[in-house]
Amino acid sequence: MSSIENRPAGSVAEPQGFLPKPCTAAWAALIGLALFTYRLGAYGSGRLLMGAALCLTLLKGQLVVDYFMGLRSVRPFWRIAMAAYLIVVGGVIAVAYLSA
Amino acid sequence: MKTASSAQPLPGDFAIWVFIFAELLVFGVLFSAYALSRMSNAGLFDASQATLNRSYGLVNTLTLVTSSYFVARATRAIRHGRSAACGRWLGGALALGALFLAVKLLEFHDDFSRGITLSTNLFYMFYLSLTFFHFMHVVLGMVILGFVAYRTYAGAYDANRYTGVETGASYWHMVDLVWIILFALIYVLH
Amino acid sequence: MKYSSQKVAMPYFIAALALFFGQIVFGLIAGLQYLDGTFLFPDLPFNVTRMSHTNLLIVWLLMAFMGAAYYIVPEEAQTELYSPKLALVTFWVFLAAAALTLAGYLFVPYSQLAAMTGDAILPTMGRGYLEQPLPTKIGIVLVALSLLFNVTMTLIKGRKTSLNLILIGSLWGLALLFLPAFYFPDDTVKASYGWWWIVHGWVEGDWELILGALLGFILIKMTGVDREIVEKWLYIIIAMTLMTGIIGIGHHYYYIGAPAYWIWLGSIFSALEPIPFLLLVAFAFKMLLQRRREHPNKAAMLWALATPIVAFLGAGLWGFMITLAPVQYYTHGTNFTAAHGHLAFFGAYAMVSLSIISYAMPLLRGREANSPSAQRWEMTGFWIMVFSMIVITLALTGAGIVTAFLQRSGDNPLGFMQVQDKERVFFWIREFAGLGFFSGLLVYLGSFFISGEYDYASEAKQALSA
Repeated sequence: MSSIENRPAGSVAEPQGFLPKPCTAAWAALIGLALFTYRLGAYGSGRLLMGAALCLTLLKGQLVVDYFMGLRSVRPFWRIAMAAYLIVVGGVIAVAYLSA
Repeated sequence: MKTASSAQPLPGDFAIWVFIFAELLVFGVLFSAYALSRMSNAGLFDASQATLNRSYGLVNTLTLVTSSYFVARATRAIRHGRSAACGRWLGGALALGALFLAVKLLEFHDDFSRGITLSTNLFYMFYLSLTFFHFMHVVLGMVILGFVAYRTYAGAYDANRYTGVETGASYWHMVDLVWIILFALIYVLH
Repeated sequence: MKYSSQKVAMPYFIAALALFFGQIVFGLIAGLQYLDGTFLFPDLPFNVTRMSHTNLLIVWLLMAFMGAAYYIVPEEAQTELYSPKLALVTFWVFLAAAALTLAGYLFVPYSQLAAMTGDAILPTMGRGYLEQPLPTKIGIVLVALSLLFNVTMTLIKGRKTSLNLILIGSLWGLALLFLPAFYFPDDTVKASYGWWWIVHGWVEGDWELILGALLGFILIKMTGVDREIVEKWLYIIIAMTLMTGIIGIGHHYYYIGAPAYWIWLGSIFSALEPIPFLLLVAFAFKMLLQRRREHPNKAAMLWALATPIVAFLGAGLWGFMITLAPVQYYTHGTNFTAAHGHLAFFGAYAMVSLSIISYAMPLLRGREANSPSAQRWEMTGFWIMVFSMIVITLALTGAGIVTAFLQRSGDNPLGFMQVQDKERVFFWIREFAGLGFFSGLLVYLGSFFISGEYDYASEAKQALSA
């Protein structure tokens, strides 16, 4: 696991000012969405509610991909591949739940 | 900055990404199997799901998301050459990983004391095996993070050499990502 | 070859090829017995032919793995083997035990063999692949212990590379996973568990790690790619193998009396078992693309690159086709299983053994590579064997599908022998393909007798004049 490639120091600029770092904002959003999804599940059932919970879950996934994994700053291919994964898995789940 | 950054390769070692995609494929198949087998057993799944203590799931989601955030901060710190901060963030992430395992064990204990086994019904079979399989991934992720943390304290990484940190971090984020879907599927959707 | 003690690998490799030859001869006889049930009866009943065919397979693969270990471990550890003499003694003990066992199969009725060898004291005989008499089984354990002692001591005194740790670790696994061979309870469910721990634990777990280590070694040597890169790939391949293979054992538990949840766990996880084989393919070709040198041993490179592909087809694809519980319900124990078994054993384990033999034998004989004409013979043998094995696989698959439809499903299923009669065309194709395989094997073995070594100067001259 030793490093193979070297990159110049500080290739990611430190944000200045009062705005939180992007990953901090993503974390706050993830916490909020997790609590909200949990409440949705406790609130009741129904297709609309469950659809919303599933969509929020996929959104959470994409937040992790973009801001934690940092795929926002690499070649778009990888980010799209991850999004496609989330959509396919989410799609299978949605179809299975709708036809249950 | 935009043009410069979009040319960046995947963070960490390419081999870990091959592994991550293989893992995502495995979990994707597991999630699909759960959803598809629910199709003809929706009533059973919903009734069984209602017996779970969903607070465990929520606490673990918050724990793992925060742990993943700590790891993101650790990666950020080492990119700026702050290896001491990187080590501290990694230590925090590991502590939260341990908390996740503890909560999950507590939940397993509850399940087993309720007499639940793999044979109870199809929902519990999936619930137990999926969460246990993920549990083992948390353990593996912690082993990797622990190794990275050890190397960080040993001074192996700095602002110019941090591929190892990114490699371990990417895997940990995958473990988090998979749990987010798992949480929704097993504890929320019905 | 860098250390003179690596030379002990040579008798192992030669014996492996001789036993391989024997395996194919028994295979051809067994194939004929499918077409003419009385062929060689009662001198050589089908069960004895089959048992000899499969046992020779196991023994020659073990011979090749051991030879590979004695070759690789010193080179990786950068030190002489701890005790070359012990390795040589072990070889003769193993060979003698194998020969005696085979003679026992051929010349003594099996029940009498069991009575003679103390099967009443500790019953172990009678299960597929584990037909060996008790003394042979104990012998296998002692041979394995001797190997493990020797290579572990070599590792301790030498350089500790990840590749060596993986190889030696998986050899320990091989030995430990053999121990359930001594567990044969009356309870058929428990007996099945024990049997599958060995069979599945070897071919769908531990041996895959050995395969990875051997392939990794060959690719490091032949492509000149950094060992760190190779080792990283090996780690992820191992992780995927264990992740899918350990729970994947459930696909053997479907209808043996195990709890019902294995139907789900076994189906899902065994369906994922092709992933590590796919990773092996990606690994081999990525290393090829990143190569830093052109190794003159083209034949070895061909074997090494083809191994993961054929293994993926045989173990991955053919295994996947019959692994899901609803499919397995109809195909269990048909020739579809035999088709999978043939292409998987050949593609994964026979071919990786032939790869390391192809790479190491010229070096053991004091040359970097064989002469181009010897390599052409070897590669011709390669293509004939691979092609024939694919035809065998397809023929057996056809027979298996016919059984599944005519005998296992439908409203008016036919009897076993009626269906066997309808499958004769497949058995004829299989037998002819078997003869093809045998001729390929002869061509391959013939390549060892073409003298001369690879000569850079004359090759370069030829290339320029062409």
